[in-house]
Amino acid sequence: MKQLLLLIDIDENKIVLVKEISAGYKAQRFLADLGIHEGERIRVTKNDVGPVIVEVKGTRVAIGRGLAIKVKVLLEE
Amino acid sequence: MQNDHIIEHKIVFLGNPNVGKSSLFNLLTGSHQHVGNWPGKTIEKKEGHFILSDEFFSLIDLPGTYSLSARSDEEIVTRKFITEEEPDLVCIISDATRLERTLFLALQTMELTKKIAIFINMTDLAEKIGLYIDNKKLEEQLGVPVLLVSATDDNSVIRIKKFLYDAIHTDKYEFNPAMLLYSTKIELMIQSISRQIEYRSICTEYPTRWLAVKILEGDESVIETLEAEYDLTNVFDKINKLAKSEKLDLNVELSKSKYSILHKIVASSVTGFKDFQESRSDKVDKIILNKFWSYPILIVIYAAFFLITFYASSPIINGIDLGISQFSFIVENWLININSPAILTSLIVNGIIAGIAAVLLFIPIIVIFYSLIAIMEDSGYLARSAFIMDRVMSKFGLQGTAFLSMVMGFGCNVAGIMATRTIKNEKDRISMIITNSFLPCAARLGVIAFLTGIFFEPWLAALLMLTLYGFSIFLVLASSLLFGLFFKKNDPLPLIMELPEYRRPRLRNIYYLTWTRAGIFIKKAGTFIFIASLFIWLMSSIPFGAPPERTIAGYLGRGISYVTEPLLGLDWKMVIPLLFGIPAKEAIISALGILYSTGGSIIEVLKASWSIPQAISFLLFQLTYAPCFAALAAIRSETKSWKLTALGFYYPIIVTIIFTTIVFQILNFVM
Ligand SMILES: Nc1nc2c(ncn2[C@@H]2O[C@H](COP(=O)(O)OP(=O)(O)O)[C@@H](O)[C@H]2O)c(=O)[nH]1
Ligand SMILES: [Mg+2]
Repeated sequence: MKQLLLLIDIDENKIVLVKEISAGYKAQRFLADLGIHEGERIRVTKNDVGPVIVEVKGTRVAIGRGLAIKVKVLLEE
Repeated sequence: MQNDHIIEHKIVFLGNPNVGKSSLFNLLTGSHQHVGNWPGKTIEKKEGHFILSDEFFSLIDLPGTYSLSARSDEEIVTRKFITEEEPDLVCIISDATRLERTLFLALQTMELTKKIAIFINMTDLAEKIGLYIDNKKLEEQLGVPVLLVSATDDNSVIRIKKFLYDAIHTDKYEFNPAMLLYSTKIELMIQSISRQIEYRSICTEYPTRWLAVKILEGDESVIETLEAEYDLTNVFDKINKLAKSEKLDLNVELSKSKYSILHKIVASSVTGFKDFQESRSDKVDKIILNKFWSYPILIVIYAAFFLITFYASSPIINGIDLGISQFSFIVENWLININSPAILTSLIVNGIIAGIAAVLLFIPIIVIFYSLIAIMEDSGYLARSAFIMDRVMSKFGLQGTAFLSMVMGFGCNVAGIMATRTIKNEKDRISMIITNSFLPCAARLGVIAFLTGIFFEPWLAALLMLTLYGFSIFLVLASSLLFGLFFKKNDPLPLIMELPEYRRPRLRNIYYLTWTRAGIFIKKAGTFIFIASLFIWLMSSIPFGAPPERTIAGYLGRGISYVTEPLLGLDWKMVIPLLFGIPAKEAIISALGILYSTGGSIIEVLKASWSIPQAISFLLFQLTYAPCFAALAAIRSETKSWKLTALGFYYPIIVTIIFTTIVFQILNFVM
């Protein structure tokens, strides 16, 4: 089994599979409406300072660092 | 509505933000549109119409939204509208380059109504990146008409109009939205709830299946309305037990299912979609959002924005000023020639013409200000600046979008207050509404530029101006911290924000964006300024023929100056313009003009009458002391509370008196 990582620790340009989001239900539902939920593949386009930006379904979504730390992902090779 | 067109069709545009909804709406309706508010809500309502074959098609542009859950007022308004107003057709606008995301809303809407059409916009961009969309295949699977359009192509407009006409008059198109089947487990639950609903003969304007789905999702608004009339404890107990045993958030589960259904549909009808590749916008963002460069770039862009606004508008303003004073001179001479009574001449020249002038003089700066904002907005930079500023704003307990309402406020506080609508957190929103008037609008920029230019060397004037602006920003941010201590903090939603693609700004959009915002100023503020100017004329002319200090305004100013002179250094002649500036800040300059132009040029007279500490005290005081009446009206309509409106009026006055007293006393002591 591969190890679960936090979205906040993923390098730019890496593609990951979302495994678990343990945030408040409002944030979780908003993310789900944007297509970010368990089982979705996303690409990290920016992650240095400030919010993490991910590509999902051809769109770019910024996620605050406080939330990004609650998103557990699996790294794809 | 017009009565000569008897047949009227109601058509609604619905879609995610940035799909080109407004662009299509503008193309279809042209200038036949107006912006209003939803009754009781601070949600913008844009209505327009076009006429085809003598029939009236009224179009409604709903606010951009990602879903139809009840998380925001936008979503509630949208839902209500679709079910209660029974539009003839709901048009879901979708973006060809982001099909899966933007069709999600279509799937949600299909559960709510049958009368749906899908317009896939931005097909010109799709073509460029080699996307091919088979709309027939989409139609087959979704069961509703799908049109491929582009707001860049005028032909699309003709096709849309023809489509709308045919959709209503012929049965050329089918409206049988496909029923989406969720997983077996969820379907069983939906059926069980549906039975319960039917068993209790619950009757609403919503379809049963949709109600069942919403109950499963835990939609508060639906559940509340139902619970008010029916006993549903059994149903909820069942759902809760199930959700707990499976450790599921059913709301998330349902969204997930919709997306997975969509994924299949899109995969079978679209070819050439390339995921996970660095786009042009990503490349630009590497620079614009860079950890070292983002702030310097932001500062340069905003500095340029303010400088251009200032320098491009000043020749126009001077021109208008010159024109008006000549016109006023001619009118005055003519009135004197025909022996009109002195009071009438004064009313026309110093009251009416001066009032119109006060409005006209601020139009250029407002128009230039908002067209530059529109360029930033349309290019995609404005959203990024909210993103960049999020880090700074969060130090003050605010979100990045609060920054945008501040920027807007520098043009006109009414627009700034209205821009707080994008702030999702209620406490932050109220704090930003109440403090927006601290930020000097274009009218106060006029006063600041005028007075600093008179009293200081250019470099010192520039420095002072920057200091004043900085101070006003400081007040807004510090107040937010202060309010944070008093208002209960409802746990803030973390930042989740879609970043639009960078686009070349389009003239048509800039025109419409500027027109709506500058229009707010011209209509709302315009009437206030004009009435205030007449009022000022009246106060400073009665009794007629008396010297300024013996008019009503003079007595008022002298009364107040007993307090303000020792405290703030503001004598009676300085108090009057400030008093007149309460309803409309534009009045400050015109009042200064009337009071200080006897016995020489206004510049000379002002220089001779004010000490430097007094001038600084005046500048500082007028910067923040009170929202104009138009802004007050905006505070009231945005907060729906008289208490908060009163707070919005008194809070700035108290804060300003405290700070100005401190500054004046120190300056007076050292100078
Ligand atoms: N290339 C292209 N750009 C479009 C099209 N429709 C809209 N846009 C651009 O997309 C951006 C967002 O459009 P807007 O109408 O404001 O979207 P709204 O948020 O849905 O109202 C603007 O910059 C438009 O110029 C289109 O069909 N083709
Ligand atoms: Mg729009």
